[in-house]
Amino acid sequence: MSRTLQDYKSSVKPIWCPGCGNYGVFKAIQQAFFDLDLAPENIAMVSGIGCSGRISHFFNAYSLHGTHGRAVPTALGIKAARPDLHVLAVGGDGDGLSIGGGHISHAARKNADFTYILLDNEIYGLTKGQASPTTPLDVRTKTSPYGVYESPMDAIPVFVAYEASFVARTSAIQVPEMTEVIRRAIAHKGFSIVYVLTPCVTYPVLDAKTLKSKISPLPADHPRGDRLKAIERGYSTDPVFTGVFYEIDKPTLGDHLEEQIRGRGGDQVEDELEMIKKLLYGYT
Amino acid sequence: MDKRPFRSDVDFVVRIGGEAGEGVISCGELFAQAAARTEYHVFTYITYPAEIRGGFSMVQVRIRDWTIYSMGNEIDYLVAFNQEAYDRAAASLKKGGMLIYDPDAVTVHEAPDSVFHPIPLNRIARETTGGTQAKNVVALRALGHLFDINPETLKKLVRDRFGKKAADVIEKNIKALDAGYAIGQKSGWDRRFHLSSELEAKTRYMMLSGNEAVALGAIAAGCRFVAGYPITPATAVFETLCKLMPRVGGRAVQMEDEIASISAIIGASFGGEKVITATSGPGLQLMGEQLNLAAMTELPIVIVDVQRGGPSTGLPTKTEQSDLNFAVHGLTGDSPRVVLAPATVEDCFYQTMRAFNISERFQVPVIILSDQSIGFRRATVRLPDFDQIREIEWRNITDSPVIPSATKTELASRIEPTSEELGNYLRFRYTPDGVSPITRPGTPGGQYLATGLEHTEKGTPDYSPEVHHKMTTKRFRKLEVLSSLFEKNPPEYYGSRDAKIGVIGWGSTEGAIREARYMAEKEGVLVRHLHPKVISPLPDRQIRYFLAELKHVLIVEENFTGQFAHFISGKFGIRPIEVHKCQGLPITSREVYASIMKVARITDEQNITRL
Repeated sequence: MSRTLQDYKSSVKPIWCPGCGNYGVFKAIQQAFFDLDLAPENIAMVSGIGCSGRISHFFNAYSLHGTHGRAVPTALGIKAARPDLHVLAVGGDGDGLSIGGGHISHAARKNADFTYILLDNEIYGLTKGQASPTTPLDVRTKTSPYGVYESPMDAIPVFVAYEASFVARTSAIQVPEMTEVIRRAIAHKGFSIVYVLTPCVTYPVLDAKTLKSKISPLPADHPRGDRLKAIERGYSTDPVFTGVFYEIDKPTLGDHLEEQIRGRGGDQVEDELEMIKKLLYGYT
Repeated sequence: MDKRPFRSDVDFVVRIGGEAGEGVISCGELFAQAAARTEYHVFTYITYPAEIRGGFSMVQVRIRDWTIYSMGNEIDYLVAFNQEAYDRAAASLKKGGMLIYDPDAVTVHEAPDSVFHPIPLNRIARETTGGTQAKNVVALRALGHLFDINPETLKKLVRDRFGKKAADVIEKNIKALDAGYAIGQKSGWDRRFHLSSELEAKTRYMMLSGNEAVALGAIAAGCRFVAGYPITPATAVFETLCKLMPRVGGRAVQMEDEIASISAIIGASFGGEKVITATSGPGLQLMGEQLNLAAMTELPIVIVDVQRGGPSTGLPTKTEQSDLNFAVHGLTGDSPRVVLAPATVEDCFYQTMRAFNISERFQVPVIILSDQSIGFRRATVRLPDFDQIREIEWRNITDSPVIPSATKTELASRIEPTSEELGNYLRFRYTPDGVSPITRPGTPGGQYLATGLEHTEKGTPDYSPEVHHKMTTKRFRKLEVLSSLFEKNPPEYYGSRDAKIGVIGWGSTEGAIREARYMAEKEGVLVRHLHPKVISPLPDRQIRYFLAELKHVLIVEENFTGQFAHFISGKFGIRPIEVHKCQGLPITSREVYASIMKVARITDEQNITRL
């Protein structure tokens, strides 16, 4: 049975503003699914709240559009319970760096085997233009009428410091490169983060033209296992590097849970009821 | 030690109290465990401070020849490790009771009708083991002698308990046991009760805490995923599941907070697994938003809330029934959910299975309201008869799975779409009972969107007035159907139908109220007792029927504001007499009895049957 790109689309039409970077992301994820030949019924897609959170609506997959900031632990639960599924979580800069920021370090510590795509447009778009954790200094928004005074967050070095086993940055204006990065992230065994710079056309704090002038691919010889180098290049603002900063191989949450099940002291669970009986008798 | 025949007049209470960190709890628990290996029934109540060291700790163990309903009122045997343990309990020591105390630590006021027995626990422990740590084991062995417990049983229990510690620790404890034995021998105690029997005398029973019973109930119900975050007093539910899950092929994950925990179980439930998380008041509040997500996306989840004293951090290690308002009403938006309250340790096992049945069959979140007193309580529980547990394939399910019990348990599973329905799959299809077939990820053609936004039958977001009204109706239809199913269950009331005084309680107070009823009946006051296990949705008709026959209704609960009383009076328009206890301690049968008798005195004479 041969699939087409259409097989990954649901009947719901995207509602983003014309020209929104998220269209490119949507396309790139579909293409990555297609390239990896994933069956739609084996894909679980979780998203948070915000413009980016809507992305799960548009895929033909098992999609869960949850609450603000909780896409990561929700996706982790799916993957932990159902290691056979391909799990993706998608959220914005508010979702992943503000309200849900605390979850990422723990998904990284557990090395849960799913891909987290963080779409950063440097603004709260859906609520119509308030400052986000990545809005640059002095930018005036509706909640920073006198200019942003908080230091914008540099997420890449933080994610590398968290020991996420795959950390990449890409941008919505370079769809082929983005597709490649997402494909690699999905294929990666462990917790993979793809940080996507995606311009907002309505609140153009991050506009496509400036973005284009700032980004540059990581050097071809970038050592992806070198944590300090990854952090150093992650901090760079001129240029803003794109590509895979960090990539290591370590046991995943699924490996550990599987190990616990296999290592249950030689007990064979042929009859679950018998097993439960045994457990209960342990309490007599 | 002689093997003595079973006696049917045994009922006594042992309390061991002292400073937290002195080994009070292990002494009491080991004693209870040893007692549980006989034919007698055992019931424990434990309280300790929130700190690791310092403050007052105590274990109360009641031993009886028959089912035990409460922790008991007066103390037959008091073991006081420190002054506070004595001061707090001296007044409750029964006439003719016995006090064992450390004369170096406790100053006592001798009472003529009690037996006072000083044992220098600290000194003996220091002399035999070089430190005072093992004094609890000295006391344990002395108690063992007093009750004629098989020394091998104690040795084995001590080894099991401290087995993971260094060899010298075990050796010290064995020495302490011997020292305790010597004391016992010298004492010349007149033994009133013999807890002597073979090591494996009792196999039909197990000794369980309420928290363990919830965990085992979850496993027996087919739950194979748990995510949690430690919180007193619910941690033991999660700990037990962490230990057991892998052994039945399940998975347990510790998360970074309660929000992540409930998110993870929602994810795992979306993945098709039966899931649970355990928490207490502060954690339940954090879970609020995600609880609504589960209600909106109609994903089955089970949350056990082991209530503690609140609000805020409150009394982490003490008991209270004050989360009812939050569990039943406490969320934004109209969000259906079911609230159950187990009444005994054994009931924790069966109500947990019931929670899974309701949750899986009706795709609603179910909250189990347990509390510290039931969660920490250890009691002898009949082993369930596994031949009576049957898994029912969803196609064969009757609309009402039986209430799980020792005699029969059915395990419900999710209703799945037929292959025809998969052709044009409507995940949130409008059905007569509000329950729409749900697919398990991996099922081709079963893909759908579960969103917290209001949505159509297909799952597509839609904010139109018609859709919001229709889908809210659908979600609440499930509760209506459940409520009418609950009506068909056997009513949960006890006592004479001639009674004019009724007592309503919920959760862990069941035993105290039951005993209070027995006490009142002995005095010729008939009492009717209603103890619903389903707190919401209530079986309205059953409760109206109960209320209609009564002149006075007392609603007994462990909180300050009378949360259940307000719930009942709001629903049924009655004005109950509210009995509240808000001290972090379980209500006793004596206290309930006193309230009943107060009401009886003001009740019309003709309504009281004099024997």
